[in-house]
Amino acid sequence: MVDVLRVGSHDEDRFDRSRRIGWLDLEAVSRARVLVIGAGAIGNEVGKDLALSGFRRMTIVDMDKVVGSNLNRCLFFSSEHALSGRNKAEVVAEGIKGLFPESEPVPVVSRVQALPESVFKDHDVVLGCLDNIEARVHCNSHSYASGKVYIDGGMEGLMGKVVVARPPDGACLQCGMNRSHAKIASLRFSCTGRDVVFHEPRLPAEITTTSVIAAIMVREALKVVSGKHEMIVANAVYYDGFRNICEELEIPLDPACPVHVRT
Amino acid sequence: MTMKIKVKNAETGATVEMELEPENTIDEVIESSAGFWGKDMGAYVLRRGKKVLRGGSNLREAGVREEDVLELIPDPEGG
Repeated sequence: MVDVLRVGSHDEDRFDRSRRIGWLDLEAVSRARVLVIGAGAIGNEVGKDLALSGFRRMTIVDMDKVVGSNLNRCLFFSSEHALSGRNKAEVVAEGIKGLFPESEPVPVVSRVQALPESVFKDHDVVLGCLDNIEARVHCNSHSYASGKVYIDGGMEGLMGKVVVARPPDGACLQCGMNRSHAKIASLRFSCTGRDVVFHEPRLPAEITTTSVIAAIMVREALKVVSGKHEMIVANAVYYDGFRNICEELEIPLDPACPVHVRT
Repeated sequence: MTMKIKVKNAETGATVEMELEPENTIDEVIESSAGFWGKDMGAYVLRRGKKVLRGGSNLREAGVREEDVLELIPDPEGG
């Protein structure tokens, strides 16, 4: 059988340009199951990047509804979604499906703490797009205990960070936390949500920092599922948009960290 | 025996000199410097070179020495 080459045929392939990236394992990306916790600003951008990168199997978890103040940085949200009080997880899943019709995003409207522990085991990589330390600690510890890589993103104004926790070795997100984290652990650093009470902080947030942080998160997920472990961040990236500095820092493993004491 | 170190504010570039005991903890340095600059309640980490320092460890355990410059970095928690 002779292969027939048609002029311009590579321009019909959605992932032709991705296939030209030597280290990227598109088949593995296509098969990978990704758990996205949080469908706010970072969750929107992460969803977009996952879809355009070729991820098909995604679970999107969020308990909140879309509100007007989301609209300065959330690609998939519209005024109509805010007016009708749509669930964020559902709107992001619809947006992903719109960008990549072959994908199978599954929305889950719930707090992550209410999900069965098996949800972490059922996915290959976990992306934390959260707005509070309590949920971050939950996702970090459950991912670690399930042997899944946890990629956590956070931002405030022009500052952002990404932490990658890779069990069974190495530090986790909680290893890098200190007393200042403990003091604010129960607060949600959100701008929205009916259960966010008035005295909790509303942070400055805009799309450019969100985009940078989400892009780093999804790029690290691509490395994880492509088996390029030597290229993965070890283990934190801090981004300063005021000075356009992006720096890799090491969070050393804390032997007293509850996650490591338990494992 | 006291030691003098400098803490740099990553957001402004300002520095403050601190006189500390080797038994003082990284948590205490974070709280003191964040308080000095009147920072909002939030999470912060302290770095020395390319490493994030463990909050509960004291300066001796963390390997902090006289004249070291540590940097206070906001640890953003928004999503």
